[in-house]
Amino acid sequence: MRGEPAVALSIETAGLLKRYGGVVALDHVDLAVPRAAVGLLGPNGAGKSTLLKILLGLSRPNGGSARVLGHDAVADGRELRMRVGYMPETDTLPDNATAADFVGHMAEMSGVPRGAARQRAADLLYQVGLDEERYRLVKGFSTGMKQRVKLAQAIVHDPELVFLDEPTNGLDPLGREEMLDLIGRINRELGILVVLSSHILDDVERVCDYVVVLDGGQVVASQPLHVSDDDTADLHVRVDGDPSPFLKCLGEQGLVTRPAGIEYTSDEFIVARDGDGVLDAIRDAAAVTGTPLRLLRPAKRSLEDLYVDSVGTGTDGGRDRKRVSKR
Amino acid sequence: MSAAPAEYGEIFDRGYRHYDGPRLGQAQAIWALARYSMARSLGMRRPWTAKIIPLLLYGAVAIPVLIAIGIRAFFPAFQFLDYPEFFGAIFLLVGIFVALIAPEMMSSDRHDGLLPLYFSRPIGRGSYLLAKLLATGLLTLSMSLVPAVVLWLGNGLLASEPLPALRTSLGDLGRITVAGTMIAFYLGAIGLLISSFTSRKSVAVGVIILGFVLSESLSLAISEALRDQPDLARWALVMSPSRTIVALVGGLFGEPELSGDVPLNAALGVMAAVIAICCAVMFAWYQRRD
Repeated sequence: MRGEPAVALSIETAGLLKRYGGVVALDHVDLAVPRAAVGLLGPNGAGKSTLLKILLGLSRPNGGSARVLGHDAVADGRELRMRVGYMPETDTLPDNATAADFVGHMAEMSGVPRGAARQRAADLLYQVGLDEERYRLVKGFSTGMKQRVKLAQAIVHDPELVFLDEPTNGLDPLGREEMLDLIGRINRELGILVVLSSHILDDVERVCDYVVVLDGGQVVASQPLHVSDDDTADLHVRVDGDPSPFLKCLGEQGLVTRPAGIEYTSDEFIVARDGDGVLDAIRDAAAVTGTPLRLLRPAKRSLEDLYVDSVGTGTDGGRDRKRVSKR
Repeated sequence: MSAAPAEYGEIFDRGYRHYDGPRLGQAQAIWALARYSMARSLGMRRPWTAKIIPLLLYGAVAIPVLIAIGIRAFFPAFQFLDYPEFFGAIFLLVGIFVALIAPEMMSSDRHDGLLPLYFSRPIGRGSYLLAKLLATGLLTLSMSLVPAVVLWLGNGLLASEPLPALRTSLGDLGRITVAGTMIAFYLGAIGLLISSFTSRKSVAVGVIILGFVLSESLSLAISEALRDQPDLARWALVMSPSRTIVALVGGLFGEPELSGDVPLNAALGVMAAVIAICCAVMFAWYQRRD
């Protein structure tokens, strides 16, 4: 288990293909995901849940291969499932059981001896904030409390990696904040790798270091989330006053500009760094037009930018963007 | 200044700890699931309403046994309940018991959406079914076999010479064990199969009970229609679980009027075949991965 040497990649797939009748759910998916908190992002129907099921060995692919933590998900499913946890999207708790009984039972199902399973169930329910309620029947729990029980059962056997499928579904804003905090703690403090499947950009952005974007069963992006290459990144510029003369001057020098996102005011924009001398050109344009330059820094590429570039640029991009929420 | 008394308390670190202990294998997972399923089916650690019907059924089976042992103690010459009569009296209760516990075993897991959670654990689909069959079989044995063994013990221990009496009736113990075990797994497998197709417990309970009743009527009607062809009529009887069980008990204890001309081997073969078919269908059903 944890004593085994760690493999460099948490998830590795090659040509992964899954069909449901005539519908292609996963279309030759190639992934090489490092050991990190990974966000699996995409609109509904993109193939996220199908990919999770295959990675857990719950569903057989029609072609290709999938490895998780170095284990073949199809041939070595049992050994793999000893080392991973799973929090499904759907309601999956027995109403007439106490949280402690159920979480302890799920620990036993992963091979933890009975006494240790009960102890770990109590510890984990404390960790997720259900210490007082652990002997209450689950049917009396709120949605947020049920999500916490689901999270506790997913990590009660101390997995190396946990798959979380839409963990903030149905939660109010406060519950969502608390759930994201918990997931962040699981990854940072407990050292458990997290694969978070979500259609909510903010959830992924807050918790994850690496993102895989799926659309129509294909991988459209797979990369670290917070990359900032200061030497090549576009430039984020903010000026005082009317920016028109400044923008016109930049345009005359052949520089391409665009608004700096929907949340920015019109005096902020991004200048594409197409070659050398862009910084000099901006400085000169500000001097020539007498425009006060308030901000000049490498532009951070937000997850929304990445998502829009990957998914939302096609003819149905608008529809896709609507299916992915930014809260 | 004296040291602080030890009973002032200790400080515990309740931070997350990784688990470095042993990880048990598949057998542990199967037994854990079987144990959990049995406890839930009997209403343990659940509201008292979930415990009432199982307790009533256990009581209904235990009372005739206790009365028989009591009569045996006080009126040794009076034979109140022999083994064929016992099985004839309780198999209906065992059927109701199965109709109660089998949906709790299978339909509840579907209703509560637990299957993805179980199958994301190391336990496989075949092992899941094995655990459910084990749980149902063991619980049903507690209805079909344990009271009969208690009756056998009572009869032996209350005899004028207990040890020789027990020794000479070892054949009865063997027959009781075969009958109790076959009844438990036969009815249990049918109940589990029906329950595995629905997530609604009430539907499963209804179908199981209705199935037992209808199969009895159907078997009688067909055997009556085939009165002129006794060989075929005999086989029509084994369409009914109750007729098959009666035939098994009659054959085992040498009472041809109970067996209805169905040979013991035929009854045993039909029961084994039904158990195997139920398991095969359930296995195929649960192998569907998507």
